[in-house]
Amino acid sequence: MQHTDERLMLSVRDGDVRKLGLLFDRHHQRLFSFFCRLTGNRTVAEDLVQDVFFRILKYRKSFREDSRFNTWMFQIARNVRTDFFRKHPAEPSLQIDFDVADRSPFPNQKLEREQEREKLNRALLELPSDKRELLVLARYQELRYDEIAELLNVDVGTVKVRVHRAMKQLREIFNKLSCEKNKCTRKTSETSCPTI
Amino acid sequence: MHEEDFRNELPDDLRSLWEKLDSIPGETADSAAMKIRFNAMLDAYHETVDRSRRAWWPLRPAVQFVIAVLILAAGVTIGRYFAPSRPQQQSADLIQLRREVGDLREIVALSLMQQQSATDRLRGVSWSNQIDEPDGKVLSALLDTLMHDPNVNVRLASIDALRRFGERQVVRRGALQALTRQQSPLVQIALIDFMVELQEKDCVGTLEKLAQDDHVDETVRKRAALGVQDFQQRQQ
Repeated sequence: MQHTDERLMLSVRDGDVRKLGLLFDRHHQRLFSFFCRLTGNRTVAEDLVQDVFFRILKYRKSFREDSRFNTWMFQIARNVRTDFFRKHPAEPSLQIDFDVADRSPFPNQKLEREQEREKLNRALLELPSDKRELLVLARYQELRYDEIAELLNVDVGTVKVRVHRAMKQLREIFNKLSCEKNKCTRKTSETSCPTI
Repeated sequence: MHEEDFRNELPDDLRSLWEKLDSIPGETADSAAMKIRFNAMLDAYHETVDRSRRAWWPLRPAVQFVIAVLILAAGVTIGRYFAPSRPQQQSADLIQLRREVGDLREIVALSLMQQQSATDRLRGVSWSNQIDEPDGKVLSALLDTLMHDPNVNVRLASIDALRRFGERQVVRRGALQALTRQQSPLVQIALIDFMVELQEKDCVGTLEKLAQDDHVDETVRKRAALGVQDFQQRQQ
């Protein structure tokens, strides 16, 4: 029988620390992906994941019977992220090479798609860190509205509004990056920048 | 499923961008390497716990307190059980028991004063108040706290605790030395009052210097001047 995350964490809290290994197996990939998207750096993301599990161990006594492990873990992950950006105030840079198989038979289409993907990722990294974090949580981490609301200590309505604002700003940055990329062609063709 | 909830809340123009976000692939972790690091962290944790278990005296103040109380209770019970009826013997046992209780209090106080948490150290200083005749270790721990503790409240509490032993030369010397080093006005004022209370004549020079030092807090300067005045009046 597979134990829930909450049951495992309660065992860890009560002294069966080895159970933390199971939680690591279940969640390290998810946390890694979360930190990769926030920092754009694999090495940093690996360090931060280790830091999260270290803090889970250190603060295990604060896990209550009625706590949701998911939310609790991401609360710790957010604190780790905040501490990291405080110590390293430089903006995150894209240091990840995407190597995704594209099945398109047309090389031009493939190139365009790759360029767009890179621009979008760059736009995501250029977002202010709180907005970037919100979008990563909502889009990639499979957290519900109420879970994100609990995590950010706001109500569900506020989460919706913030997601909407973050998306609008992401679109602005994405369009700006597209304009910069197409500057040369615009000079000759006098066409406007492509927008989404 | 949750992601769909978010998408449905967005207006059409942003929805296409939301869908495009799907094109950014997630990074795959090097799980094997990360698990090795994680296990190393867990092993280090176990080692620390084992080491602290092997130590004869536990690290956590709460556990120390419980053990101290249990030893005390066991001592009282055994003492009563084996107590001979002769009054002379009884009083000798009682003296022995009191000495043991005093020793226990000393251990608890010393141990608490070495803790990381300021609250624990404060508790340690309060514990020292329960010791009737502290030995050199407790006094030097209190003086060390007064001299070096980073927390002002703990330093102030140590002055209160030392007040009972003001007649001892080592306490007078330590307090005078602390007065020359302390930077916190609160602690400086408490030390000046302590010195005046003790009528420690050796401190007059230090008080005069403090009263004239422009870098020192104004209230401290005034209090030092009053202290000097007090000494002079008593001499007349």
